[in-house]
Amino acid sequence: MGSLTASLNIALGSMLAEQGAIETTSNNIANANTPGYARQRANFAETDPVTFGNITLGTGVELQGVTSLRDSVLDLRVNQETQQQGQLDAFISSGQQIQALFNETTGTGLQAPLTAFFNSLSQLSANPSDLNTRQGVITAAQNLASAFNQTSNNLSSLQRNVDLSVTQSVNQINSLTSQIAAVNAQVQSATALGQNPGPFVDQRQQLINQLSNLVDVSQIDAGNGSLTLTTNSGAPLVVGGQSFQLTTQADPVTGLQDVFSQGNNITSQIASGELAGQLQIRDQEIPSIQSSLDSLAYNLGTAVNTQNQAGYDLNGAAGGNLFNLPAGVAGSAASISVAITDPTKIAASGGPAPGSPGDNANANALLALQNQTIVNGQTPLNAYSNLVFKIGSDVSSAQSNQQAGSLVLQQIQNLQGGVSGVDINEEAANLIQFQNAYQASAQVSTIIDTLLQDTLNMVQ
Amino acid sequence: MTMSIRLNPNLLPDLLASIQQSQQNEATATEQMASGLSVNQLSDNPAAAAALVTNHAQSAQDDQFLQNASTLTARFQTADSALSNVTQVLTSAISAGTEGANGTLSAADQQAIAQEVQGLQSQLVNLANTSYQGTYLFAGTAVNTQPFTLNTATGAVTYNGNAGVSSTELSEGNSINTNIPGNQLFQNASGDAFAALQNLYSSLMAGNQANIGTAVTQVQNALNEVSTQRVFYGNAMNQVDLSESFLNQDKVNLSSQENSLVGADLAQTATNLSQAELANQATLSATAKILSLPTLLDLLT
Repeated sequence: MGSLTASLNIALGSMLAEQGAIETTSNNIANANTPGYARQRANFAETDPVTFGNITLGTGVELQGVTSLRDSVLDLRVNQETQQQGQLDAFISSGQQIQALFNETTGTGLQAPLTAFFNSLSQLSANPSDLNTRQGVITAAQNLASAFNQTSNNLSSLQRNVDLSVTQSVNQINSLTSQIAAVNAQVQSATALGQNPGPFVDQRQQLINQLSNLVDVSQIDAGNGSLTLTTNSGAPLVVGGQSFQLTTQADPVTGLQDVFSQGNNITSQIASGELAGQLQIRDQEIPSIQSSLDSLAYNLGTAVNTQNQAGYDLNGAAGGNLFNLPAGVAGSAASISVAITDPTKIAASGGPAPGSPGDNANANALLALQNQTIVNGQTPLNAYSNLVFKIGSDVSSAQSNQQAGSLVLQQIQNLQGGVSGVDINEEAANLIQFQNAYQASAQVSTIIDTLLQDTLNMVQ
Repeated sequence: MTMSIRLNPNLLPDLLASIQQSQQNEATATEQMASGLSVNQLSDNPAAAAALVTNHAQSAQDDQFLQNASTLTARFQTADSALSNVTQVLTSAISAGTEGANGTLSAADQQAIAQEVQGLQSQLVNLANTSYQGTYLFAGTAVNTQPFTLNTATGAVTYNGNAGVSSTELSEGNSINTNIPGNQLFQNASGDAFAALQNLYSSLMAGNQANIGTAVTQVQNALNEVSTQRVFYGNAMNQVDLSESFLNQDKVNLSSQENSLVGADLAQTATNLSQAELANQATLSATAKILSLPTLLDLLT
């Protein structure tokens, strides 16, 4: 049979449960602006009923626990988009520095010295015997060579800067995976103890999201609340409470830092995140531009040398090389230099007769190289202009992808916020409800107290 | 009752993204307005940036052609006026020869005329050795060698130049020859000016009427030859003029092409800028309003 004491207990139990719910609400409001926080919900449940004969009476309410509201699929999508964004951001940031080296609108780049070199030959054609004009050709050739050198050096130093960023990214990745491993262990033990792992899951998601910005992360649910993180290609990052550090080591050929996991070189397998963007700039974009510049410098220099050798200088001697070039194409842009200082050595003349300084046949032939397809089937200027296009379009398509991706990310984050975000209005409504329930239970206990008094008075 | 999807209660990221977007639009319009360019980075329009490379190269090339044109014009003018003087010298020689052929003249008078012819011969040598800025104009490509030397003992004139002809581009793909070798001008098979004057001189000295007549005819032939060849320089100057106007027009075209490639439409940019400013202000005030909306908590007392 029911008793007043049982009723009093139900009222007190209810007050305790509502108190817990009010505390949860208060905590939600407190963390409304905390990054990564997922709103929590107090879970009420009826307590087990008691049966007396054929009468079953309820025994009140209890607070079973507090659940954090998350959608792990959305968390995963946010991480994936963050990986893409990280990669594109890193690519664009270096790409903008690269394209500034070739900006025709601000007058940087190779067009001006390249055109000036051919113009000096055009001038030579109009005045082949004039020493100042010949000196002008040498000066223009020197300007062209040093423009090649400078552009190539600037690209190399950009490449070294990005190489430093690679090492820094690896250090950040290692620091994050250590933290994730620690939090992962906390999630695991909270889960094992039947506690709400939510706050640790919040932290872990926040850290994984930061990690996603740096590198591609693939996550596998290991059960028991713990996550296993690897790169997309399977290099382990976090397993349970243990993190696996990435290391860097200078490549024996390029001198640039390779990324290793457990003794394996995974440099070429990093698929997204800032690290991938940095590697893409360092290992693909810059080398590809360097190789185009090398090819331009080498083919142009070789064609000019060959043509200069075909002519005769002011003294009637056969011409020599105008440019010093390395034996092969590689490194030509960095090392091209002018081979002569004596202006009479320019072979403007087409014939060996020493007495014909006005002969400009070979000067014309040198000038004609401007319009010949001497650089991989293209004229020197077209080869350069195509390079300019490639550089601009690489940055521009990364920018479009980045913009599109950031909209997607924003949408997924809104969906995520829809599940996990704290709504002050909702919390206020809940608060009123819990307050009412608490006050009602308090009122019930006062009434029962009166009844108990009445009973005692009756006995006296 | 339909269940609606719970919206993200945190509006801040969306609001900040809108502010960032409208500020970005404003910054872009400001940059275009300040630089006057719609392409400030290669990535703004890679195709236009690449086309600009060719455009600038062509424009610089035109400048060089124009510079060459003025060098060539000066040289052609010098050559042309030297040849004009040559025709005067030869015309004087013809008058002198015609005068000397008059049978009533004494031997002394004829010899005096012969001296005059000798003077004309040396003038002719000087003119044939005309140079422009240190290079001989009628030496073929042997521009540093004085093309003609007069043997004062024999009166014979020797050509020391060569038969080389130079050509120079006036504009892309458009070359012209820039000289006529001196021997072709003055010692041509159809009329050899130096030999004709030398014959005239010696015929006058010898007082041989018939030979004087023949020599005058030879001088006349030489005059015809020089006059014919001189047309080359006139034509060359015309061609240079034509190519100069072509190049100037090309530069105008290139500059208008550059403008359409990378220039900002200033009227449009100004409109964009004021629209962007307006949009940015609207976004900001909307944000301020949304963020200060009361919540249910504010209504509890």
